[in-house]
Amino acid sequence: MTQNDATAPATLEVKGLRAAVGDREILRGIDLTVQQGQIHALMGPNGSGKSTLSNVIMGRPGYRILEGSVTFNGEDITLLPPDQRAKRGLFLAMQYPTEVPGVSVVNFLRTAYQAIKGEQISALAFRKHMKTQMDRLGIEDAMVQRYVNQGFSGGEKKRNEVLQLAVLEPTLAILDETDSGLDIDSLKLVAESVNELAGPELGVLIITHYQRMLNYITPGFVHVMMLGKIVKSGGPELAHELEDKGYEGVRRELGIEAHEEVDEGPDEGVA
Amino acid sequence: MTSLWFDEAAFELLPKATEPLQRMRKQAFEEFRALPIPSQETEEWRYTDLSDFELSFEAHLPSVMRTTSGQDLDGLGVVFSDLDRAAGSDAELVERYLHTLVPTDRTKFTALHGAFRTGGTFLYIPRDVRVELPLQTLTYLDADGAAAFPHTLLIADEGAEVTFIDRFASPDLARALSDAIVEIVVGDGAHVRYVSIQEWGAGVTHLGIQRARVGRDAEFRSLAIGFGASLARAEAETVLAGAGGFSEMLGVFFADGTQHFDHRSVQDHVAPNCSSDLLYKGALRDASRAVYSGWVHVRPGAQKTDAMQTSRNIVLSEHAKADAIPNLEIEANDVRCGHAASVGPVDEETVFYLESRGIPRAEAERLIVTGFFQEVLDRVRLDEVRHNAELAIQEELAELSTAGVA
Repeated sequence: MTQNDATAPATLEVKGLRAAVGDREILRGIDLTVQQGQIHALMGPNGSGKSTLSNVIMGRPGYRILEGSVTFNGEDITLLPPDQRAKRGLFLAMQYPTEVPGVSVVNFLRTAYQAIKGEQISALAFRKHMKTQMDRLGIEDAMVQRYVNQGFSGGEKKRNEVLQLAVLEPTLAILDETDSGLDIDSLKLVAESVNELAGPELGVLIITHYQRMLNYITPGFVHVMMLGKIVKSGGPELAHELEDKGYEGVRRELGIEAHEEVDEGPDEGVA
Repeated sequence: MTSLWFDEAAFELLPKATEPLQRMRKQAFEEFRALPIPSQETEEWRYTDLSDFELSFEAHLPSVMRTTSGQDLDGLGVVFSDLDRAAGSDAELVERYLHTLVPTDRTKFTALHGAFRTGGTFLYIPRDVRVELPLQTLTYLDADGAAAFPHTLLIADEGAEVTFIDRFASPDLARALSDAIVEIVVGDGAHVRYVSIQEWGAGVTHLGIQRARVGRDAEFRSLAIGFGASLARAEAETVLAGAGGFSEMLGVFFADGTQHFDHRSVQDHVAPNCSSDLLYKGALRDASRAVYSGWVHVRPGAQKTDAMQTSRNIVLSEHAKADAIPNLEIEANDVRCGHAASVGPVDEETVFYLESRGIPRAEAERLIVTGFFQEVLDRVRLDEVRHNAELAIQEELAELSTAGVA
């Protein structure tokens, strides 16, 4: 199944995916394909299953796949530990990045870089690589000397996620509500960083509740998720349609009951 | 080498000390014979079972190396030497302080120590003398079946300042005993930093007592790093004897295999207006066991005491077990005392975060534990000491990412 063709773009393919937390089915049949070089936006109201999808793709513990498949470059990744998925080129920018007390951003990133690339890199060479990325994103030195996410503001946490994305050079990145909890200036800064990184080498799946991040980043593909399913897909115009009509408009159009929305997985209260 | 049962014949074979010390030694020998092996039925020893401990060892001296970081100590009037030698050259000080903080009749093992100790480290800093760089003693044991009695007697006179690193190391041995005593006198207004790094090999039973007496407006900062020995019982006690004194006790330990750690601490507030802060952090893997019991004792009259005691433990394996038992005994009414303790596995959210960045689980745990200890080391202000401790920790944890792969 594995594609060995180095010239083929990296491809994440989700097919007929159903997944549950405990006994509660949250994903009810998802089909989604994202390729290196593309920008997709997955939009949906709270509890529609967006974060669950990103967690299942990355392999966060606590989720059970009931049916369907998740493949990356043709390889079934559902049984791989998360670090192996990262090693193959997947990246998840977290909605709630975790603090790692006592571990500096630079130390953390160098360890991750070495694990992903499978080779040792001198502290000096790594610093050079990281500095290049920091300059691209306008991140100051002080931040990478601090302990990972400890005492970071909401904006700093999200920018730190984007820095990791830049340094670790994945082929496909999922940004899980990277816009949440940010004021307008931080949002702009983070969105510009993502724009800077997007390109032929990177596929991006932006998961968001709001349209506002899409004022800065133009996705080629927009999907609307409700009740654990992708109910509508289209081009960039779909994001504007949502902006005008709201999720309520889509519900009316498709005849979906609003009150059926469920709470989402472990990161939203279960754990 | 002759097998040693610590009997009359063995005692007679010891090199003779000066008259007053010889008397102290004889008395300790009598105490040793009279005292029982500590029983698990007593509160002090309930977590460590020595009932089958055989007191038979080879007579052997550890090799001791002292380093001065190239400082001219003689010029400062500092004495840094073998304890037996100091008993001749600085008889008055040695006789005034030896075994005053840890008396020989405290337990059978302190008595054994008092009777059979030869060598050890004596460090004296005269009044208002500041020793810039750390002084260090390395006690190295490499004989199977040997008993070692490391002793450190550190006296900082009024206003003196010093940093001392006590390092204990050995290869893995079939069986050995380290029966250690550290006595530290922190004079009025003096500043003492004391670091112990215990890296005994497997097979060693380490029974150590460290006790410091802190004078008026004096400052005592200690850092204990414990990685080694099959069984390590380490007691660290600070007596705040003069008003305005300060004591910081930091501890970092890591246990693996079937290691057994029994850590005990005492913050004894005798004088008013003193503060003390204790932070111990431990990580355990495999089938290791660790118990921390701490006492904060505020005596009547020790008003305005500010005391804190914190014990944090990460348990990396379901077969390892840790306990933290804080105790407060407060006999004054105008004090601020607190304690905090936690025992738990490594945080799964953090592990997932690291894994999602490509870091395999074992390596993620190593990084998390390193950071967990780093928070203690961040409180060590002296770069050289912190760097020393960081290296010791890195070395100890290096195997965690390879051997720990499940």
